[in-house]
Amino acid sequence: MYEFDIITPNSIDAAKSEFDAAEDGQFLAGGQTLIPVLKQRLAMPSDLIDLEHVHGLSGISASGDTISIKAMTRHTEVAADHEVQAAIPALAKLANGIGDMHVRNRGTIGGSIANNDPAADYPAAVLALHATIVTDRREILADHFFTGMFETALEEGELITEIHFPIPEAASYMKFANPATRYALVGVMVAKSHNNVRVAITGAGPCVFRDAEMEQALMGNFSPESIKDGMIPADDLNTDIHASREYRAHLISVMVRRAVAEAVG
Amino acid sequence: MDTTNITNGIGKSQERREDFRFLTGAGSYIDDMNLDGQAYATVLRSPEAHADVSSIDITEALALDGVLAIITGEDWKVAGYNPIPTKSAVRKAIDGSDLKEPPHHPLAIDRVRYVGQPVALVVAESIDVCKDAMELIDVDYDSLPSVSHQSEAIKDGAPQIWDIAPNNICLDFELGDQKAQKKAFSEADHIVTLNLVNNRVTAVPIEPRGALASYDAGTGKYTLWNASQNIHAGRDTIADAVLGIGKENLHHIAPDVGGGFGVKNGVYPEPILILHATKLLERPVKWFNDRSESFLSDTHGRDQVSTVQLALDKDGTFRGLRTETVGNLGAFCATVGPFTPTGGSSRTQGGPYRFDAIYYTAIAPFTNTCPLDPYRGAGRPEGSYQMDRIIDYAAAQLGMDPIELRRKNLIPTEDLPMKSPMGLDIDCGNFPEVFEQTIAMSDRDGYDARVQKSAAAGKKRGFGISMYLECTGGGPKEEAKVSFREDGKIDLSVGSSSTGMGHETAFAQILAGHLGLEIDDVVFRQADTEATAIGGGHGGSRGLEVGGSAVLQTSREIVEAGKKIAAHKFDVDADKVEFSEGHFHVPGSNHTMTMREAIDAQNDPDMLPDDMEPGALNISSVFERGIISIPNGGHAVEVEVDPETGTIKVDGYWVMDDFGTIINPMLADGQVMGGVAQGLGQALMENIVYDDGGQLVTGSLMDYAMPRADDMPRMVIGYYEDAPTAKNLLGVKGAGEAGCVGAPPAIVNAVCDALKDFGVHHIDMPLTPERVWRAIEDAKAS
Amino acid sequence: MPLITVHVNGVETTKEVEPRTLLSTFIREELKLTGTHVGCDTSQCGACVVSIDGKTIKSCASFAWQFDGAKIQTIEGLANGTELHPMQEAFRTHHGLQCGFCTPGMVMTAVALVENNPDISENGIREGLEGNICRCTGYQNIIDAVKTGAKAMRG
Repeated sequence: MYEFDIITPNSIDAAKSEFDAAEDGQFLAGGQTLIPVLKQRLAMPSDLIDLEHVHGLSGISASGDTISIKAMTRHTEVAADHEVQAAIPALAKLANGIGDMHVRNRGTIGGSIANNDPAADYPAAVLALHATIVTDRREILADHFFTGMFETALEEGELITEIHFPIPEAASYMKFANPATRYALVGVMVAKSHNNVRVAITGAGPCVFRDAEMEQALMGNFSPESIKDGMIPADDLNTDIHASREYRAHLISVMVRRAVAEAVG
Repeated sequence: MDTTNITNGIGKSQERREDFRFLTGAGSYIDDMNLDGQAYATVLRSPEAHADVSSIDITEALALDGVLAIITGEDWKVAGYNPIPTKSAVRKAIDGSDLKEPPHHPLAIDRVRYVGQPVALVVAESIDVCKDAMELIDVDYDSLPSVSHQSEAIKDGAPQIWDIAPNNICLDFELGDQKAQKKAFSEADHIVTLNLVNNRVTAVPIEPRGALASYDAGTGKYTLWNASQNIHAGRDTIADAVLGIGKENLHHIAPDVGGGFGVKNGVYPEPILILHATKLLERPVKWFNDRSESFLSDTHGRDQVSTVQLALDKDGTFRGLRTETVGNLGAFCATVGPFTPTGGSSRTQGGPYRFDAIYYTAIAPFTNTCPLDPYRGAGRPEGSYQMDRIIDYAAAQLGMDPIELRRKNLIPTEDLPMKSPMGLDIDCGNFPEVFEQTIAMSDRDGYDARVQKSAAAGKKRGFGISMYLECTGGGPKEEAKVSFREDGKIDLSVGSSSTGMGHETAFAQILAGHLGLEIDDVVFRQADTEATAIGGGHGGSRGLEVGGSAVLQTSREIVEAGKKIAAHKFDVDADKVEFSEGHFHVPGSNHTMTMREAIDAQNDPDMLPDDMEPGALNISSVFERGIISIPNGGHAVEVEVDPETGTIKVDGYWVMDDFGTIINPMLADGQVMGGVAQGLGQALMENIVYDDGGQLVTGSLMDYAMPRADDMPRMVIGYYEDAPTAKNLLGVKGAGEAGCVGAPPAIVNAVCDALKDFGVHHIDMPLTPERVWRAIEDAKAS
Repeated sequence: MPLITVHVNGVETTKEVEPRTLLSTFIREELKLTGTHVGCDTSQCGACVVSIDGKTIKSCASFAWQFDGAKIQTIEGLANGTELHPMQEAFRTHHGLQCGFCTPGMVMTAVALVENNPDISENGIREGLEGNICRCTGYQNIIDAVKTGAKAMRG
């Protein structure tokens, strides 16, 4: 690892000003991706600004039709939260399937979303559930947040503080795990609310994405039969030693059908 | 040999004595050891598969604060050391010419030939400084065309890796009677042909390789603590063959070793490099691989492509078998490398089945990949896969029942002992009985109901079986040295080495059991060139067969010597004295003396007969086995396949093994279950992949999939114990590798059985979900 | 360099650490507790698992300074002198270890799994161990050990 300095601010304002003051600062929000990257010398930040002790950045609350999760809330906490389990069980299930127990005890939802790994689980939930990402300076709708591989709408130094998840009528997350990493080879979140259906797919492309054709078909008839093979063209999907783009395209259809079947109950 | 009179202590699931330290974090592995004043070393590895090294500039790196030395191929050339020799037991090609052995220097000299090949050793005050320095070394590579796959390497026009090896061929090989095979084929009703792949895998012991070296300028002696399975042979190669320092000047020790599986058997560049560095700097030097470096530099295993042909009659009788293999060696001849696809893969061809004739040939080419060397089984898993896969494939092609086909062709007991068509001495066993017991234990009665249940969930269930034949014993000689301390402790030193197999327990169990002493008093020492004069290390499932036999032999000699002491006390002839359950006694008299009393007496001249010196019970004995033993057994597997995704769930696993006498069933079970897991890994997920440019695609645990707890089925294991072998003193047949020999064919057979309705009859390993899905889709389309 | 105070296996220690010092390195090299092993560099193998305030983490994927003030338990802190923790005892009884290298992480994980769910099922154990790789045992004896250890921990 290269050398760096550390800063452990207590407030969002302090975190921001430390970031601005640093030559090449990097927020640390759990570190389950960042630390392995640093170990491999693939990044060289001048300063790590640890968000762990920033007040008010952790916790889960439910109000009416929304579940709000603060950015530094760990995966374990989301998975075990009774309000999440009751309101959006698919989100609790997703959180409980990230990495492994040890990773879930450290990793945070804000860190995961800000990193936007193409194979991460959370982006699928954020996008399918039509969540709003609250930052230190604005609110960003999920549809505008994930902009590309490891890229988001976050500006330099912009900090996620909270994510608002509207509670759907029904939702389900189905993941086909990479056998080596247990990341999503294909992960599919299907969410239904007020005649609206959103299908978000992670692991399969360079960035999490929705599929309009599947959503239309499911809005017409929210049933597994609505999803036909070949609805997703393989052309733009990832291809690697674990799965070709054709296989990923096929898996998406299968996972969406299974997610819908589970959501229908 | 006399396999009777193996007394108490045998057959008992004795808990392991080493476990307390392992469970409390008190084990001492290489990276847990540190010496005063120690420096650290890392290895700069080639990023190129094949390239000329036109220059290496170390100026900037050397100037970095904390850097102590940087050693390059140029330094190595100047030092004049010899290359690392191969010890392959097969050394001649078919035409009698020598195998082509390119010079394997620990550092690349002028040219690199695989990604990961050591280019420079950096020694510094800390690992971080080493890594900083590596980034400052400027190496100019002039890329050359490379070849990664063995089938490509032997084609005309392929990039040539070594001038001495035209068409990249190191050697070719044949075994068996070609004429008889051709005759059998011409007479048979059917010839079934199957091309198959034994995928390239790597052992991944959870402890990476590492070593710690020190040098005493006063005595000129080196000490090397090394995470190695083969201490004595390694010392000889490193000290005598490579460095020329004389083996008496290298004390080679393996501390606790975190798994080996063959991959820690060979002689590697890095320990040699740090021996050079420790003398140069007169400071201890430690090196420890990262996991990602392990993928690049630990020898890989398997990687054979084969064409297998089975000739059989209409009634299913096997007549002949023909196997042609191309086995990848990587860029160099590793320690045993050329042996694996040749001799190692040939001996068990045909398995426990009867044939008129078998003919095996192999070509072993070099490629621009990491060298290959034995990995658990080293040739026998390949042979077992070829044999038991083609049986199921032939059954599918000819509309036969694979279970009946096996039943019909197993070598009957009345044929034993016999010499197999491959020259293997099969002395004992009962293949038909082991087969029937395998079937009987695998809950066939409940199978149809489980098939229905799977079908109702949209899944396909299948059953598969394999009948493996093993040959074990590894290095033939072993020493066991016993000495009794005055405080009652018993020092037991053995030259074999355990990397998790539990010798500290099993060997102590044999010694204490035989002598009627307390196992807790035994102080065990292994894998240390100063503890025993010779040592065969670990390899070929030899621990118990050869090491255990040596312990028993020494124990027996102690008893014989003890009888003389007892006879002297009783004033009778020694041949009148008998020994049982820890007591010397004379039948028909009330003379009695315990072993402990005899031990106490051994240092008192008054208690000894005239022809005995004090310390006469402190005995070291070397056991030498005859021919290798023949473990065998059956694996039965049930799988459930999700045809929509291609996912395989291994849902039932049964093993019946003939390991002869079972010394400690708990340890034997552990060996089998661990072996099955590795076989399952090879069958379903593990795969080392190089791209066409020679880059390693599976370079970390992020890409190389390994079985986890939720990938494994519950395994049921039984032992057929009615056929102890007379080839060693314990009647045992090696248990260490059998699990991963029998597993791949049984699992693939079960999957193909599940998919037979689709018309899928073969899929190459690893059977990843995508491969299974594609096989189904392709079958549907055709 | 940050100065941190940690409570490791009940013993309070204050030390300076470099920012880039991983918790695993700190435990092994500064505290000389070498039972915590490092088997990979990508945080897959789980040999380095330790428990922080009752929760398991991979010590190779965290920095030492992040645990200022924390209670850290390593494999060395589990037994009471020569008396093994019931989970350690169960691993021994069931031959749930061979080479011993993954064992510290396995045992620490097993204890946490049972503390979180005293009646954990076989499937629960298998899934709960997904962050820990063993190359020797085929896992079955580990599973059986965790079941027995769970029973003993329930008392």
